[in-house]
Amino acid sequence: MKYSMATIAAVTLAISIYLFVAYDNDLGGYQFETEKYHWLPGLGVTFHLAMDGIAAPMVLLTGIVMVTAVFMAWNTEPRAKDFFALLMALVCGVYGVFLSLDLFFLFFFYELAVVPMYLLIGVWGSTRKEYGALKLVLYLVASSVLVWVGLIAIYVHADMGTFNLIELEQAGFDATFQKIVFPLLMFGFGVLAGLWPFHTWSPDGHVAAPTSVSMLHAGVLMKLGAFGIIRVGLDLLPQGAQDWQLVLVILATVNVVYGAMSALAQRDLKFVIGYSSVSHMGYVLLGIATLHPQGLTGAVYQMFSHGIMTALFFALVGVVYDRAHTRDISVFQGLSKRMGVTASFFAVAGLASLGLPGLSGFIAEFLVFVGLFKTYPVVAVFGIIGAAITAVYILRLIAKVFFGPLDSRWENLPDASNLEKASMLSLVAVLIFGGVYPQPFTRIIDQGIGPILDRVNAVA
Amino acid sequence: MSDAGAIGLHWAWLAPAACVGAFSILAPLHFSGRRLSSKGAVLAVGAIGFSFILFWFLLNSLLNGAEREFSVSWFDAGGDAFNLGLTLDPIAMVMMGVITFVSLLVQVYSLGYMRGESRLAWYFAVHSLFAASMLGLVLTNSLLVLYIGWELVGICSYLLIGFWYERRSAAEAAKKAFITTRIGDVGLLVGILLLYKNVGSFHIPTILEAVEAGGLSDGLLTLSAILIFLGAMGKSAQFPLHVWLPDAMEGPTPVSALIHAATMVVAGVYLVARMLPLFEAAPAVSELVIAIGLITAVMGATMALTSNDLKRVLAYSTVSQIGFMILALGHGALAAAMFHLATHALFKALLFLGAGNVLHAIGESSDVDIRRLGGLRSRMPVTSAVFIIAALALSGIPPLSGFWSKDEILQAIWNEGNPATLVITISAFFLSALYMTRLCWLVFFGKLKPENQSAHEAPAVMSGPIALLGILTLVFGFTAPDWLDNVLGLAGEATGFASFILDKADSFHEHVVLAAISSVVALAGIATGLLLYRQGMKLPDGVDRALAPVRTLASNKYYLDDAYQWTIDRVVLAIGAATAWFDRHVVNNTGVDGSGKITALASRVLRRHQTGQVSNYILVISAGTLIFVVAITLAA
Repeated sequence: MKYSMATIAAVTLAISIYLFVAYDNDLGGYQFETEKYHWLPGLGVTFHLAMDGIAAPMVLLTGIVMVTAVFMAWNTEPRAKDFFALLMALVCGVYGVFLSLDLFFLFFFYELAVVPMYLLIGVWGSTRKEYGALKLVLYLVASSVLVWVGLIAIYVHADMGTFNLIELEQAGFDATFQKIVFPLLMFGFGVLAGLWPFHTWSPDGHVAAPTSVSMLHAGVLMKLGAFGIIRVGLDLLPQGAQDWQLVLVILATVNVVYGAMSALAQRDLKFVIGYSSVSHMGYVLLGIATLHPQGLTGAVYQMFSHGIMTALFFALVGVVYDRAHTRDISVFQGLSKRMGVTASFFAVAGLASLGLPGLSGFIAEFLVFVGLFKTYPVVAVFGIIGAAITAVYILRLIAKVFFGPLDSRWENLPDASNLEKASMLSLVAVLIFGGVYPQPFTRIIDQGIGPILDRVNAVA
Repeated sequence: MSDAGAIGLHWAWLAPAACVGAFSILAPLHFSGRRLSSKGAVLAVGAIGFSFILFWFLLNSLLNGAEREFSVSWFDAGGDAFNLGLTLDPIAMVMMGVITFVSLLVQVYSLGYMRGESRLAWYFAVHSLFAASMLGLVLTNSLLVLYIGWELVGICSYLLIGFWYERRSAAEAAKKAFITTRIGDVGLLVGILLLYKNVGSFHIPTILEAVEAGGLSDGLLTLSAILIFLGAMGKSAQFPLHVWLPDAMEGPTPVSALIHAATMVVAGVYLVARMLPLFEAAPAVSELVIAIGLITAVMGATMALTSNDLKRVLAYSTVSQIGFMILALGHGALAAAMFHLATHALFKALLFLGAGNVLHAIGESSDVDIRRLGGLRSRMPVTSAVFIIAALALSGIPPLSGFWSKDEILQAIWNEGNPATLVITISAFFLSALYMTRLCWLVFFGKLKPENQSAHEAPAVMSGPIALLGILTLVFGFTAPDWLDNVLGLAGEATGFASFILDKADSFHEHVVLAAISSVVALAGIATGLLLYRQGMKLPDGVDRALAPVRTLASNKYYLDDAYQWTIDRVVLAIGAATAWFDRHVVNNTGVDGSGKITALASRVLRRHQTGQVSNYILVISAGTLIFVVAITLAA
C-alpha cells in the first residue's frame, strides 16, 4: 500500500514537473486548458481546469512537498490506509484550487483541502490535538464562509450566469461593489495565509499535526490563501485591491515583525517554526500588497520558496521528535554530534529562512523588498529588520539545540534514516537551485502576474 | 609589461568558480561521512592556487589596458533584469591579490596546523566557499552581487568561528559575529535598495556616475552613504559594532588569520573605497567616517594593551588598524587606505599564523594567557624572528611596509584633516607600538616557563608561509615611493602603488617631517614598552592613578559587550516574550477562544428553550401568533 502511495505521488510529481517545464513562456496566459464540462448548466457551473504562470510554481511545489511528505509519513501507525486516503484528498483539493478556472469548483476544492485536516490532526496528531484540530477547522471554515459570500456576491452582481473566472473578468464591477467585496476575499483567504490577527490557528495546528501533515499544511495549504487573494481578489476586483492596499500592507508588516518576535520566545521547536511561517507568510502578503511587478513576483516566488523551506523544517523537527520524543528546546544540546545530517539540513533551512543569498528565500524576499521600496519604502525597512530578527531566533535555536557539548541523555540518538535523508536532501537541492538559478521561476511567474497587474493598473 | 600572456579580464570569473567547485566536491564528501586526508585538501589548495596564478595574468592584462567591465543576465523579474557582472580595476585587483595570496598561504599552513582534525573536508570546503564569496564580493560591478558575496562571507565566517561547535564558547561567538554584522547588513541592504530605487540600477559605475552628475538630492546621498557605511562598520568591526571580532578568535587560528585579519574584515574598507564618490558627495558622512575610524583606532589600541589573551590582543589590534584605514577613507585618501589594507593583510596574517605556531608549540587550541608564556624565542627562532618583524612593521618602524602605509595615512590627515585628528592619530600610533612591544616581550622574551619546556618550532609547512609573509613585510613598502621609479630608470612612468590605485600618474607625497615624527613616535612606543615590561618600571603614582579608570574601562571592553547583552536579554527577548504572551493570552485566549466561549455560552442559553415539553412550545407559538396578529392589525 505504501509503495502504491509512493508511486502515485511520484507520478503526480512527474506530471507537475512536466507541466512546469512544458509551460510556454512566450505564449503566456492559461495553458493546458481542459474542456469545459457543464456540471450545473442552470447555474453556469463548469468543471474547467487550466494552468497559468502563478499556478505553475504552486503545482510544482505541491508535487515536491507531497512526495517528501509521503516518505516522511512512511511509518504512520495505526490505520495507515485511512491516513494516506485523507492525505491524498487534501492534495487533490490543493491541486484543484490551483488549477480551477471555475470559482465554484475553486471553492469546492478549497473546502476539500481544508476538511481532511480535521481528521488528520485529530486522529494522528500529538500535543493538544483535539483543540488544535477543532480550532483549525473552525477557523478555516468560518473564513471560507467569508470567501463563499464574496464569490456568491461576485456571481450575482456580475449577473452573467457564470462562475467562470475568465468570463467574469469582463464583468466590470463598479467601484463601490469592489470596495465592499474585496475585504471578504482578503480576510477570508487571508486567514488561511496566516494574516494577522487571524493566525493563531496555524501554530496550534502545526504543534498538534503529525509531521507530514505539518509539511503540507505550512508548505502548501497556507499558500492557498495567498493564491486566492491574487487569483480571485486582485484579478476580479482590482479597484478593491487598491482601496484595501494600505490595510493589507499594515497587517502584513505586523505579520512579519510580530511573527518573528513571537518565534523568539517559543520553547517548542514546532511553535518556533509555526510562528516563523506566520512571519514568512507576511512577506508573501507584503509582496501582494505592493501591487507592483517585482513585489508580486517576489510574493509568488516566496510562496514556492517558503513552501519548500518550511516543509523541510517540519520534516526535520519530525525527525528529532520521533527520536527524542520531545520538542522542548531547553532540553536539547549538542545534537550535531549524533545527528550530523539532520543538523546540517536544519542549518540550511534556517539560512534559507533568514534570507541567505544562494538559497531561494533570498531571491524571493529580495524581490519583495524591491517592490516595497518602490511603493512603501518605510515598510520595506521593517521587512528587512524582520529578516534580521529571524537571524536571531534561528541562530539561537541552532546554537542551543545542535551546538555545544552533547548532553549525555542524547548519547544514543540515531540520525535520520536514509529515506528521510533522501527526501530532505531533495528539498535542500530545490532551495539551492532556486537560489542560484531563479530564472525559470521568475520568468514563469512574470507570465502569470503580468495580466493581473495590467488589470490593476488599468483602474489606477 | 609585455602583451604576452594577456588574457581577457572576463576570465576572472574562473577564480571564484574554481573555489566553488572545490566546495561542491568537499562539502558532500564531508556529509557522506568520509574522512579527508591532506591529499584531498590539495583540491582546495589547488583551486585557490589556480586563482592566484590567474591573478597575475589578469594583472598583466589590466596593465595592458584590457576591457574592464562585463555583465551577463542572471534573471528577470517583474520587467527588471538582474545581472551578474565583473569589474576589474586596480582596487579590485589589489583585493584579488590579497585574497588569493593570503588564502593560498593560509590553506597551505592549515595542512600542517589542522592535521589530524576529523572534519578536515568541512574545513577546506568552507575555506573554498569563503574564497569564492570574497572574490565575488570584490570582483563584481553590481551592488546586488556584492551584497550576495557579503552575506556569504558572513556565513562562512560563522561556520568557521563555530568550527569547533562542541565548545559552547565557539557556538556563542559564531552566533554573536553573525548577528552583530547582520545589524550592519540591514543598513547595507536598505542603502543598496535606496540607491536602486533612485538610480534604477545595481551597476556600481552607473550609480557613481549618477552621484557625480549631481542628480540626487543631498538628503538621499547622506542617507544612503550612512546606510552603506553601517554595513561597512559591521563587517569591518568598527565601533560600536566591533564587539564580535575578539570573540571570533574562538575559531581555528588560520581562520583568524585569513578571515578575521587579512580579508573579510577589510571588506568594509573595500566597500567604502569602492563607493568613495558617494561619500565625497556627502561631506557630513565623511565627518562621521572620520570620527568612527578615530574612535575605533584609539579604543582598539587601548583594549589591545589591556587584553591578556594572545589572539585577542591581535584581534583588538586589527580593530584598531582597520580604524586607521577607515580614517584615511574619511579624508578621501583612497590610495593610502588601500595601501594600508594590503600591508596590514600581509603582516597581520603573519602575526596570526605566528600566534598559531605558538599555540601549536604549547598544544593549545585558541585561548592562551600571554602572562603564562615567555622565553619562546629560544625554542622557536623562525617564528619569533618573523613575528617581531611584523610587530615592528605594525608599529611603523622604517623601512618595513607598515611604516610606509601608516605614513601615507598621516600624510592624508595632514593635507585634508584638522590638527586634533592628527594628534590623536599619532597617539594611537604610539599605543600600537606599545601594545606590540608588550606582546612580543611577554611571549618571546624573558624566562621560559617550565610547562613550556617542550615547545618546539613549527614544521616547514607552517613556518614556510610565515617566512614568505615576513619577506614581503620587509620589502612590500618599497612599492610606495615614486623614487623607486627613478632608481629603476622608469622616471615619468609613475609605477608606484598610488598611481596604480588611482589609475593615473600620481604618487604618495612623502613628507619628511611627518615621516620623522611617526618614526620617533613608534620608537618611543617601543622604548616605553621595553621600560614597562622588560625593566618592570612602574609608572609614577600620579600617572598610574590617572590611568586607572581608563585601564578599567579598556579591560572591561568599555562595557559595550555587557550593554549589548543586556539589550538582547532585557529588551529584545523581553519584547519577544511580551509578543508571545500577547499572542497567547490576548489574541488567542480572548479573541479566539473568547469568541468560542461566547458561542458556547449563547448555545447554553438558547438550549434552555429546547425543553422538549409540548406545553411550552404551544405557549411560545400562541404568544408569537398573538404578537404577529397585533402587529398586522396595528400596521393596517
